[in-house]
Amino acid sequence: MENFKDSTWKELLQDFQKGIDRAIEELENRDVENIPGAKEALIQRLKNMRLHFPKNNGEIFLKSINDKIQNAFFPNTKDFTEAFEKIIKSRTHEQDFIINELLNGFVTSKAKAIASGTQGPIIDRMVEAFSRRNDFHIVDYQFFAMFGDPNKPRHRVKNQLEELAKMFGLVSKELIVEKDVRRSEEKVYTFYTFPDGIIKILEEKYLIIDEELGYAYVSEAFDRNVFICMFLANVAINRDNINKIGGSYTLNGISAIFALILLLSFLPKLSIDETSPILNDPNYDPESMSVIPKSWMMKQVLDPLFEPLIKIIAYRLGGGLWLSHIIDSDINKRIHNQVRFLIKDVNKWILGQLVRVEIPIFVEISNIFTEIVVGYEDEQL
Amino acid sequence: MSYKKKSTRIEKPGRKREKWTDILPRYLTFLTHMRPILRETRRIIIDLDADLLLDPEILDKIREEEEKRNIRKVRALSEFSAMYRSNIYEIIKDFLVKYRDRIPVIDIKDYIIEFLFESIDALNVLRHITNPDEQNLEKTYLYALVKFIEEKLLPRGRNINVIYKKLLDASQNVYECQRHILQPHTYYREKLEDSDSFEIPGISPKVYQIINNITSLLNLDPNFGNFPERENHEIPMILKADIFNPYIDSIANAEENAVGQISERIGLRIIDEIFLAPRENLVEIMLENNFVRTTTQSDGTIRLLPQLSNETLILYYLSFASQRRGFLTKELINWISMNFAFLMYMGILKWKLSDQNIFYPIFKDLQTNEKILPYLMKLICFPNYLGIDKMKIRDSPQYRKEIFNFIGSQIDNLKDFINEIAMFCEKFDKERKNN
Repeated sequence: MENFKDSTWKELLQDFQKGIDRAIEELENRDVENIPGAKEALIQRLKNMRLHFPKNNGEIFLKSINDKIQNAFFPNTKDFTEAFEKIIKSRTHEQDFIINELLNGFVTSKAKAIASGTQGPIIDRMVEAFSRRNDFHIVDYQFFAMFGDPNKPRHRVKNQLEELAKMFGLVSKELIVEKDVRRSEEKVYTFYTFPDGIIKILEEKYLIIDEELGYAYVSEAFDRNVFICMFLANVAINRDNINKIGGSYTLNGISAIFALILLLSFLPKLSIDETSPILNDPNYDPESMSVIPKSWMMKQVLDPLFEPLIKIIAYRLGGGLWLSHIIDSDINKRIHNQVRFLIKDVNKWILGQLVRVEIPIFVEISNIFTEIVVGYEDEQL
Repeated sequence: MSYKKKSTRIEKPGRKREKWTDILPRYLTFLTHMRPILRETRRIIIDLDADLLLDPEILDKIREEEEKRNIRKVRALSEFSAMYRSNIYEIIKDFLVKYRDRIPVIDIKDYIIEFLFESIDALNVLRHITNPDEQNLEKTYLYALVKFIEEKLLPRGRNINVIYKKLLDASQNVYECQRHILQPHTYYREKLEDSDSFEIPGISPKVYQIINNITSLLNLDPNFGNFPERENHEIPMILKADIFNPYIDSIANAEENAVGQISERIGLRIIDEIFLAPRENLVEIMLENNFVRTTTQSDGTIRLLPQLSNETLILYYLSFASQRRGFLTKELINWISMNFAFLMYMGILKWKLSDQNIFYPIFKDLQTNEKILPYLMKLICFPNYLGIDKMKIRDSPQYRKEIFNFIGSQIDNLKDFINEIAMFCEKFDKERKNN
């Protein structure tokens, strides 16, 4: 009920309505569709969104963002283990693509760029290093031996490993050996592993504990996305400390990706003529895919929708603090613009048609919309 | 005065061109040491009374005895043999400890012998993958497997249209593998633009993103302009600036400067310095494969409307690379040949070893991989096989570590393809035996 008094939220909802009006206007002036009825279906859907979204204090937004998007990608908690558990449990093959795209979004980020440049291969190396031991630890020296370059200073790899361990929230233990066999000098080994709480969660699927042999080794399912889920969990619990999560670029990137997921979920499925060549294309699977109008990807339509939606997401995820960082600067506009090309493996182009792969998160969000709209219609009857 | 006869040939410094007869023995070196160790172990286990297996110390003693018999003089080989033997015994010991309370020891013994038998069989195939004089080439595993994989991932053909058609037909099942072999993990070592040569590099993540942007922009709202080669026809065009507009802080500057070369590799060209439009041969391919449709305008001009799929431009890149395989960059050659070698190796293992084989981890170990795959990569490059420049295969152990990293992050589609290769191996083997 508190939200009713929230003037910022009210303003954001109004801006979204205005954005829809502008998008409808643009759509009516241009037509890039070649499926009969596609443009009309999109206009109708936008009109429905305009009518129903602000109702009941933006109930559709609240449910979609708070219950679905946050739970799957960005849990609203301060507890690292809880956040990680939610993200990793919602993992599906397709969702991994979204998570990876989310991180590709950070290519534009000046600050903590992850999975780009040299850090991407290091994550693969960490997977490899954990896979090669049977105690679910990695040791710095083993890591240097496996991946270090004898011609380059060791501190290069060491710094990268330390930085990533910190970013993922790995815990480290030091073992001091008084006399090393080779040089008879003191030597410090650093072991890295996952925090206990996380190990418990990983035991279900990613970690096999062999109590008889006293081994703990990773299963085939253990991959780079486990680390990436940890990274997301870390950002999620530190959302109030903007500097810690990489500054305004990070939150602009995250908000833009979630806005795109939200928008994609609400787009109407088109019915296709039986003779359409797309039905014969081997890459099109009618069971798991649907054709959606491509006009929404037009800059003129997307811009007015996207901008207020990003602000709505930012406000829901990080309150006024995040919203104050979504400034309509040229750089932010470019980040937002880039995001529309990002979700490329989840959405496909097939013979010039935009195809949505019906993954659980899209279906769940779309169901919220349908349920609420049907609910209102029933009330009116 | 020296009586040593001087060579009249001036040898240039640098690496010598290695012959088939140089590389094949190197490929066989470690394999010929692995197989006897497994055979000895099998013989020992067969002869050992099953009850003795219950005592782990007996196995340790046997291993110690076996190590004493080591007469190899080359240090690298004796070290490898010791490591290999100790891995085998450790795995057997763990298997015993784990199952001795659940399975009768006589069955455990049978399992171990069975797993050893499978492993020896796999090494046997790897050892006889080809023959020194390449006799009956078509009947060798090396040739048959390279051709099977090549047909789907890097086919040959009399022109680019034929190559493209083959790739498109295979893309239904292996598109992700096709895309994968174009994206070397060591892309950061590549130069995007090289004014002195026609070298073709792999696709970096950013170039991949740019190709996707181009696909989206062409599908969404293209401009149209005259088709230079055909009168009365219009082709789709997009503004070069639109592609790079989203990038901030000059992060795509290198790509923007090399846009001419990047577009050539995906069948596009620059028109009037500001537009990107398909070349004539891409238009032909697009027409053949329904990636473009024609409409007649009111003034009689024929307009080509693009309807691209995700794979349209990526497969053109791959066809282009396949056709000009002599001009691939060092990174791409290392990446392609490593993927071919890896697929063959894993396909043979999948065919010969059962999924529960306890020795699988030894075969998949980085230390075993780096002893076999580098030479297999070179064999694959010879003219009868992939026909790419084997001189560009790097010998540095550090580099091998760098590229073999990807084994830790395999994609699902590669695993499916490995299963397909295993099935092909079985079929090929039957045909070979029948003939």
